[in-house]
Amino acid sequence: MSHLLRRHPTHSRRPRSRFASPSILWGGGIVLFFVLLALFAGPLTALTGNDPYSEHRSLLGPRSVPLGFGGGISPSHWFGVTPLRGVDLFSIIAYGTRVSLGIGLASTLISVVIGVAIGLIAGYFPGVTDAILSRTMDVFFGFPFLIFAIALSAIVPDSFPRPLLLILVLGFFGWPSIARLIRGQTLTLTHRGYTSAAQVMGASSTHILLNEIMPGLLPLLIVRLTLSIPGRIAAEASLSFLGVGINPPTPSWGRTISDAVAWALVDPMYLIFPGLALFLVTFGFNLLGDGLSDALDPKAVIRAEMTETAETSKTTATESSTRNSAPAVVQQGGNR
Amino acid sequence: MRMFDYILRRLISSLLVILIIAVTLFLIFYMFPSNPAQLSCGKPCSPEQLRRVSAFMGTDQPWYAQLGAYLLGIFAGRTFGTGASAVVCAAPCLGYSFRLNEPVTTLIAERFPVTASIAVGAAVLWIIIGVGTGVLAAVKRNTWVDRLLMALSAIGISSPSYLIGLLAIIVFAFELPVFPSGGYVPFSRNPAGWFSHLLLPWLVLALINAASYTRITRTQMIGEMEQDYIRTERSKGAPESVVVGRHALRNALLPVMTMFGLDLGSLLGGAVLTERVFSMQGLGMLLLDSVTNLDLQVLVGSTLFAAALVIVANLVVDICYSFLDPRVTVGR
Amino acid sequence: MAFHYFFAHRLHGKRGSVRHASVALATLFAATALVLSGCGSRTSQTGIGASPSSSPNTSASATPMKGGTLTVLTSQSSLSLDPATSQSLPTTTTGLVHRRLTTWKISHGKTTVVPDLATTTGTPSDHGAVWTFHLKKGLRFSNGKPITSQDVKWGIERSFSDTFTGGLSYHKQLLAGAANYHGPFSGQQLNSIETPNDSTIIFHLNSPFGAWPWVASLISFAPVPRGDGTQKSYGNHPVTSGPYQVQSNSPGRELVLTRNPYWKASTDSVRKAYPNRIVYRMGQDDTVAAQQIMQGVNGGDTSILGEFVPPAQLAQAQANPQYSQLLVTSGDGALEYIAINTRHIRNLAVRQAILWATDRAGYRTAAGGAIAGNYATTLITPGIAGRQKYDLYHVPTGGDPARARAILKRAHVTVPTLKMVIQQNKTEQASAIQSSLKKAGINVRIQVLDSGVYSDTVTNNQGNYDLTIASWQPDFPDAYANLAPLFSSSMIGNGNQNMSRYSNRAVDALMTQATQTVDQKAAGKLWAQADQRIMHDIPVVPLIYSHNTFIHGSRVAGFDIGNFPAYPDYLTMGLTRD
Repeated sequence: MSHLLRRHPTHSRRPRSRFASPSILWGGGIVLFFVLLALFAGPLTALTGNDPYSEHRSLLGPRSVPLGFGGGISPSHWFGVTPLRGVDLFSIIAYGTRVSLGIGLASTLISVVIGVAIGLIAGYFPGVTDAILSRTMDVFFGFPFLIFAIALSAIVPDSFPRPLLLILVLGFFGWPSIARLIRGQTLTLTHRGYTSAAQVMGASSTHILLNEIMPGLLPLLIVRLTLSIPGRIAAEASLSFLGVGINPPTPSWGRTISDAVAWALVDPMYLIFPGLALFLVTFGFNLLGDGLSDALDPKAVIRAEMTETAETSKTTATESSTRNSAPAVVQQGGNR
Repeated sequence: MRMFDYILRRLISSLLVILIIAVTLFLIFYMFPSNPAQLSCGKPCSPEQLRRVSAFMGTDQPWYAQLGAYLLGIFAGRTFGTGASAVVCAAPCLGYSFRLNEPVTTLIAERFPVTASIAVGAAVLWIIIGVGTGVLAAVKRNTWVDRLLMALSAIGISSPSYLIGLLAIIVFAFELPVFPSGGYVPFSRNPAGWFSHLLLPWLVLALINAASYTRITRTQMIGEMEQDYIRTERSKGAPESVVVGRHALRNALLPVMTMFGLDLGSLLGGAVLTERVFSMQGLGMLLLDSVTNLDLQVLVGSTLFAAALVIVANLVVDICYSFLDPRVTVGR
Repeated sequence: MAFHYFFAHRLHGKRGSVRHASVALATLFAATALVLSGCGSRTSQTGIGASPSSSPNTSASATPMKGGTLTVLTSQSSLSLDPATSQSLPTTTTGLVHRRLTTWKISHGKTTVVPDLATTTGTPSDHGAVWTFHLKKGLRFSNGKPITSQDVKWGIERSFSDTFTGGLSYHKQLLAGAANYHGPFSGQQLNSIETPNDSTIIFHLNSPFGAWPWVASLISFAPVPRGDGTQKSYGNHPVTSGPYQVQSNSPGRELVLTRNPYWKASTDSVRKAYPNRIVYRMGQDDTVAAQQIMQGVNGGDTSILGEFVPPAQLAQAQANPQYSQLLVTSGDGALEYIAINTRHIRNLAVRQAILWATDRAGYRTAAGGAIAGNYATTLITPGIAGRQKYDLYHVPTGGDPARARAILKRAHVTVPTLKMVIQQNKTEQASAIQSSLKKAGINVRIQVLDSGVYSDTVTNNQGNYDLTIASWQPDFPDAYANLAPLFSSSMIGNGNQNMSRYSNRAVDALMTQATQTVDQKAAGKLWAQADQRIMHDIPVVPLIYSHNTFIHGSRVAGFDIGNFPAYPDYLTMGLTRD
């Protein structure tokens, strides 16, 4: 308990400006922009009287390629229209933001929750638990995700909402890499003096996991998370082609980009706008993640923890002994 | 020997994992409302003919019988049909493709070199680039070098990867034709051609992957370099290069190793994106084609092979862990 | 790194369904693939290609020379050369290596059936239930052995073996006593094929069948040396009878054909055999391959694309005068249609409403433009003997949603949300249909499926869909191959293509009568009658007769598409001098 209380001052000691770094401001700004775009897609597209479904065939030439500059860019179609059907591209991107962000965030959340829980447990409890969980991870790693996705499309009734299915599929298959990373880190952290100290002090496993190990994992987790979200957004794109993706006409960046790739040389703006949107949102998350991880400062967190532990329990090893002579710590690592 | 015991135990549990994957695959395809025989029945197809084809391919059996026959085939070989036209698939039989008319093992053997060439070459590049830039960024933390590298890696990570591949082809194969636009040339046939055809895919794949290695290496390095033991080393007067190289890097590399092992392992099972974009017929394309064509035996065979690679990679990673991190010892 | 799969798959998915097109043009897969992306300009609009002049060098200014290596780039991943398992057209790949009893003479007027190994296209007797063929003299296999009537018989018998399935099976349902025949490998013969001497072969059919000369042109009628071809892998290195033989074959990757020294041009009226070598590169990305051919890099100038030009590359090539010279567009080809599952949608009023609501103009735009094909009203496609042009309903090309609503209102039905299954490459077209039906108050839910799953879904016994977009080009230019596979009640499920699951006894009887009529004129009239009779029930909504556009390298000549099939004639292609 004392840890909990004592850690708060550690946080507040940190200068506020850390969280006002350019990375966080820019990254956060970009992410916020897309969140707003998602929320206000309706009113924004209503400004020009557009929606992501209506066809504007009159804007297409005889080869179904949009007429005019930049794929038909005009005051009423800010990003032009798509080839073949003449749908307003800005509307597609605006509404598509909902799908992309929603799936990216929700599936990452699922993966992180499962991954962290399993990774912590596997890393902290040696022996059978770790062995079982590690083998489960292996199954998931070796498992042909693609095949599963296709099979699901045929098995799951098509009345089941596709976005939800996608979130579940991506979330459920995305956890093992997180779990594995967390497990490895947990192993390392467990062997640093401070956890042993807590163990010696008689703290419960849950307490140690949540209060000792978890915070040490946070920076890594944040990096992982920021890396993960854009990956999911891109994965939605590709899955849209597997039949487990978002079915038309629901707008989706992924489907649009995939469609537009072939048109790159003919109607470049068709690819550039959604590609840029995907790039920006990914970039935003990455910047934000970088900034946050700097602000949270992994070493600072770890050091603070270690100092605290060392102070509270003068019993055991200093960090140098943890490092260089590892005798005190029983090594469960290899025994998976 | 502890190490030997450990590896043996891991191998056994790995076989179990592979078995579970095989069972799941067969189950999925059993639940699948489709009969692959339908696709090779011919046109037009009579119910009688369909029944015969199903019997020949064995798809009229319940899933566990199909699975049993498949697993048995791995050890004992398999024969489809009877008489002079029977198809014999010698052990280790990972199945037989009724679409390509080859045993799956032959198909894998033909295509693995393609995938391996792509994967290993790219992996070497990306680990060098990724770790190198990561360490540099960490050492030069908060300088312009760090910022530039991080910005580049953020851009790298944020770029949709298939776009980079296609753009690379458009630019380097069509606009200024310095590289071939695709295709694979076996090393044995023409080493120079092998290299020139692979260079572009290597670069694309390496750049896509290196960005995340840069980041993870940097984060880890910074974490390690602020550890007290490093300060202890420094205070002892150890040269900075030794501190960074031997101590910090060694510990920082653990998670990087994990990631690398898994990435390489799964890439060896099929570099689908790269194979597709660069028209190289490796394992990835084999797997994809088997999915789109419901070629169950190829699907299972190549999946099990890919899964085995991932599991072996996992095993290697874990063993390396024990060498790299003295605290994580094996077998105790 | 499961994500590697994702990306790849989408690139791949674009083409998923095209893969079968180049060899098995008219297979189910191809039928659905046919339309796909490959919709293009009509010949007259690009001013090149399959122009009405019948000279073989319409596609390029020069005449093909003897020699050189022609490359075929294809996104396909398998290519069967086994006569028993292939579904290939006589005028594409297998036509280069296998001769049959009869074959096709491609022309811009009318494609005709002509003798190939045989001296005639067959002599009927017993009102068309017995057909007799005589072989030409001096025919030899690529292994030097003479080709006899027993070899032809053996080839056909092989196709009944359970080991060799997947090919064209028209003959299996026509030959007498074939129902319980399992192939020649256990020593049994098929008695309905007689070979009284080395050069004579006689077929006994279940019932009279007027289009038998066409059936005898299909790949199943290629000779296989008697006793040979027992192994499943025979098709990878078959003994050939055509101008080429297999030099090397790495399934799914590369096939190299070289000249067959035993083939004699004097015995062959259709095959020109210009190139010395023909190389197939499989598993290519079609957008990259099209680009390669346009720019002439990486051997693109001596290559052709085995599939239709993808829509984007088509637009790109059309906009460039130099590239547009490389395009060749077919005339009216496959029928593209919406199949309405009549077992789910039993109410004729609903099907009428769908017909009236369908915006064919929107569909055609989404398929690549006003030039993707001509609007369709009949089920028998243009160029097929006996076809009568008609338009039962005179629906405007843009549809008439108001009228559709009125029909539904009068019938007092509310239509539940309909499930439309499609392949990935049909997304845009399906969306266009979806939005047009919505205007009539009919909601459609689209489900996109991968090609294998799609084929299975629409041809299996469950039929779990309400609508699908399909396309069909007959396997041979006879109305039988046009209508029977799509509308005969015996073609429902079991892997067959009656996707509307349409079953009407009167139509079945009419089609049987037409099939058994040997007099082609009389048969044609019956088929035309069946055509209209079917459209009274509206099991399908005809959309367009698709025009397929292909591309060839600048040094490829003789790249020609006749009136039928809507596919280039591989037998007359060659290279020009540099």
